[in-house]
Amino acid sequence: MSVLDIAKGMGVTLGHLFKRPVTVRYPEQPVDVKPRFRGRHHLLRHPSGLEKCIGCSLCAAACPAYAIYVEAAENDPDDPVSPGERYASIYEINMLRCIFCGMCEEACPTGAIVLGHEFELADFVYQDFTYGKDDMLVGVMGSKWQRREATQKGRDVRVGLSSGPRPELEGVDY
Amino acid sequence: MKVKVNDTELELAPGTSAIDAVFAAGYDVPYFCSQEYMSPIGACRMCLAKVGAPRQDRATGEWILDEETGEPKIFYFPTLMATCTTAIMEGMVIDTLSDEVRGAQNGMVEFTLINHPLDCPVCDKGGACELQDRAYEYGSGLSRFRFDKRHQEKHHALSELITLDRERCIHCKRCVRYFEEVPGDEVLDFIERGGHTYIGTLGEGLPSNFTGNITDICPVGALLDATSRFRGRNWEYDHTRTTGLDDASGSAIIVDARTGRIERIKAALNAEVNKSWIDDGTRFGHEYVDAEDRIKTPLVRKEGELVPVTWEEATGYVKAKLEGIADKELGIVLRADATLEEGVAAKALADHLQTGQLDHCPRPKASVLPEGDAARFTDLATADAIFVIGDVSEEVPAVDLRIKDALKGVSPPASLPHGVPIADLRLKERMPRKAGLLTVAAPYRVDLMRHAGRSVCYPVGGETAFLSALVKLATVEDELSEEEVAALGMPVDEGRALIERLAQAQNAVIVYGSFVLASPAARNAVIALAKAVKAKVMVMGPMANSYGLEAIGVMPSHARYSYQQMIRGGAKALILSGLDPAQDPSVAEALKDLELLVVHHHFANATTALADVVLPAKTGYEKDGTVVNLEGRYLPVRSAPVDGGQSEDFTGLVRYLGEALGVRLDGRSTRSAKRALNHLLAVDLRDLPDEGLLAKAKSRPLRRVSVKEQEAVSGNVLLVPSMVRPEFVSRNPQLRAAFGDVALCLHPDDADQMKLVGGERVRLSVDGTLRKATVRVSETVPQGIMLLPATPEQPVGLVSADLATLVKESSELEVA
Ligand code: SF4
Ligand code: SF4
Ligand code: SF4
Ligand code: FES
Repeated sequence: MSVLDIAKGMGVTLGHLFKRPVTVRYPEQPVDVKPRFRGRHHLLRHPSGLEKCIGCSLCAAACPAYAIYVEAAENDPDDPVSPGERYASIYEINMLRCIFCGMCEEACPTGAIVLGHEFELADFVYQDFTYGKDDMLVGVMGSKWQRREATQKGRDVRVGLSSGPRPELEGVDY
Repeated sequence: MKVKVNDTELELAPGTSAIDAVFAAGYDVPYFCSQEYMSPIGACRMCLAKVGAPRQDRATGEWILDEETGEPKIFYFPTLMATCTTAIMEGMVIDTLSDEVRGAQNGMVEFTLINHPLDCPVCDKGGACELQDRAYEYGSGLSRFRFDKRHQEKHHALSELITLDRERCIHCKRCVRYFEEVPGDEVLDFIERGGHTYIGTLGEGLPSNFTGNITDICPVGALLDATSRFRGRNWEYDHTRTTGLDDASGSAIIVDARTGRIERIKAALNAEVNKSWIDDGTRFGHEYVDAEDRIKTPLVRKEGELVPVTWEEATGYVKAKLEGIADKELGIVLRADATLEEGVAAKALADHLQTGQLDHCPRPKASVLPEGDAARFTDLATADAIFVIGDVSEEVPAVDLRIKDALKGVSPPASLPHGVPIADLRLKERMPRKAGLLTVAAPYRVDLMRHAGRSVCYPVGGETAFLSALVKLATVEDELSEEEVAALGMPVDEGRALIERLAQAQNAVIVYGSFVLASPAARNAVIALAKAVKAKVMVMGPMANSYGLEAIGVMPSHARYSYQQMIRGGAKALILSGLDPAQDPSVAEALKDLELLVVHHHFANATTALADVVLPAKTGYEKDGTVVNLEGRYLPVRSAPVDGGQSEDFTGLVRYLGEALGVRLDGRSTRSAKRALNHLLAVDLRDLPDEGLLAKAKSRPLRRVSVKEQEAVSGNVLLVPSMVRPEFVSRNPQLRAAFGDVALCLHPDDADQMKLVGGERVRLSVDGTLRKATVRVSETVPQGIMLLPATPEQPVGLVSADLATLVKESSELEVA
């Protein structure tokens, strides 16, 4: 290895010293993710407000990680939860098992389950990784922990995300 | 006959259908309307194939030969044929693979889907649907329908237990044919025509004990089990094939459980027993298993309160208590649907504790074992004379259906390489029935009488006299006395005709149940009658394993040690499994004097309220073991994954108690019990096949008890067998909604006299026990008698009720 080579290498380093850094000051500053990034799931609603999910369990069948559990029930025709006869009375995803592959999204016949952009899912207790309908229905922002912190401190939920939701998340009210 | 299917040649019996030939050759053809054990009608046109056969010259009888090859020439039918309605012919050629056939199948799938809503994601049949599968295998995979499909009612409750989605129906007619051909009641039919056709009933509900089977056979999700509606998808259930413990038939069932709950039960195929049909009690009677109030931990009474403890602590407590109790003073009683393994465990425990006070309940006064070999279901289905004493459709409903097979006069089909024939061409719609071969006798009008050539209502409680009169007719020339004629309940000529019919028949079968078993004399008479007319007998024991428990001798060593004596002061300590004798206040008083009362049960009841120790019991769906059905067939019982907490069956109880006592007893596990049974019966019960094992038992009852003749002569309440078990009715809300509450049936005149109307809720002290029931008024009941379902504690028979104790609770609804 000649002195010249060393100088070349140092030159690269030197050149980068004066460039704009690519790292960001996360978590002080929010980050951007790519449009097709797959993060925490959202359960969507129809424009009428009815839930899109019909409790068919096809997402659970497609899930390679067995992360989804669905229990269905019959809609009260006078006060339906979803269009048609059937809705999901229990819809749970275990975020520890989930590998964020997006198979559930692909399997869903109604476009009810969609992987969003949120990625900060760390938490402390095993049970808290099981997300139910209340944690995933569209409009709910942040992970369980982020929402808990927000209530405790009496402030808005803060997510470290600057790119909005995925374009697929129609009607999402962020 | 030689047949060629595609490239495979095979030899089949004449009369086989072409569709069975295709399957026997190992090829597949799609079909929707054919169904095992039902007539093929060619409704769906899905089973099309190209079919041809050689022809003989009429003049010479020679095969017409192909000029080019010199082989017999194949003349193809001008169109594709529905293979299900085509019988095979000598030299027939069936082609299921050519483009022409494929195209037709594809077209038929598309045609069937024209009006199908394709709501598979919300359909309970999804994942186990014949239409889904066939559309996937034989359809083009693309839809050309850009128009709105037919709209019809999507949630029509055919009954409390069955929902009909009329949009999904593909008009295969299986359900319509089922009711006419299997239970023999025409209930459903097509209404309207063409694309507007829908399934409907004439009146309300489905009046039959066998309605649930249509949900199994509907090829699509049009007919669904309402009790499991939306409870899970087909691939999410754990399917356990086991034997139903609801009655003595040993019907094969599939228990579908999810997350520790039983969601539904379906019929399984056992060609020799229940074919593919089960009754509604077996199908829908499982809800109590998941009742909220099930006992799931052992409980021990401490300072007057039952407190949860571990099994070790509970059995340690029992052991300590047992020390103060002399041998022979402990009683052990099992419910009669306990498995053979539990029976062995109970025997081993009784032997170890040196007590003869061992019994099962309900145990009829007379032996449930036939003399010699029992008639088999196939004997029944091929019988040419059948004499029934009792109410089969309530006692063992599977027997009812097999009797109706005999009425059709079509013997069970021979098995083909692919199993039961898909299209048995001997079966037809609306076949004439040979009602003449069936005689039904009972103390009141029973359902099967509608199908019988001759039906007799003998006087209530008069089984012995009735049967003795028949025996006299069969054996002695003498004229009957006046009393005997009265006991016969029919003209003497009719009686003689019956005897003649039975005696002349090649395969006569006499079926009797709890009414006869309530009296040893009646049972002896029926056996004498069977001998006189050379008939086989089939005995309907009161519960799933009555036969087996008696055969292995879970019996008292002396008559004074019977269950009835034990609970009335005969024992100082009792271990009761699955029973609730304290409903009778006088028994409750006696139980209070016990030094130790251990109750092994699923629910808190009057007896657990008095118990020192309560142990959680497994239900029949959670056990592993063996039962013996009324044919003497050993059938496997397998456990479904149900959350029963710390429940154990009796083998578990004996294991824990044995550990506390420091002994290793037989039957401490199902394995050790099976070993002991192998010694006892010379039958290896490990890995029993699904269809069970018919084996001659090596030893017959070890301890037979001769019970002194003690006939109930009078009473105003007849306790009758019922398909819906009254002890679980309150915890089976859906079954109750469909079949009604425990019913107190009486004659309209009696009802008028007692100022009762149908639908009224009443309380009545029957033989000392307070029973709640809903009044049902019916002409079928003889005057002066009331019918009430029997319970294990109050077995079938005539008892008295104190009418002064009759209290009306409320009148829920008026029934016209
Ligand atoms: S993203 Fe993949 S792993 Fe996660 S729940 Fe969906 S299907 Fe399962
Ligand atoms: S999210 Fe979609 S696939 Fe999953 S249960 Fe709901 S509707 Fe079915
Ligand atoms: S309801 Fe089912 S079984 Fe009856 S005709 Fe329609 S598709 Fe066939
Ligand atoms: S026409 Fe339906 S199976 Fe043959």
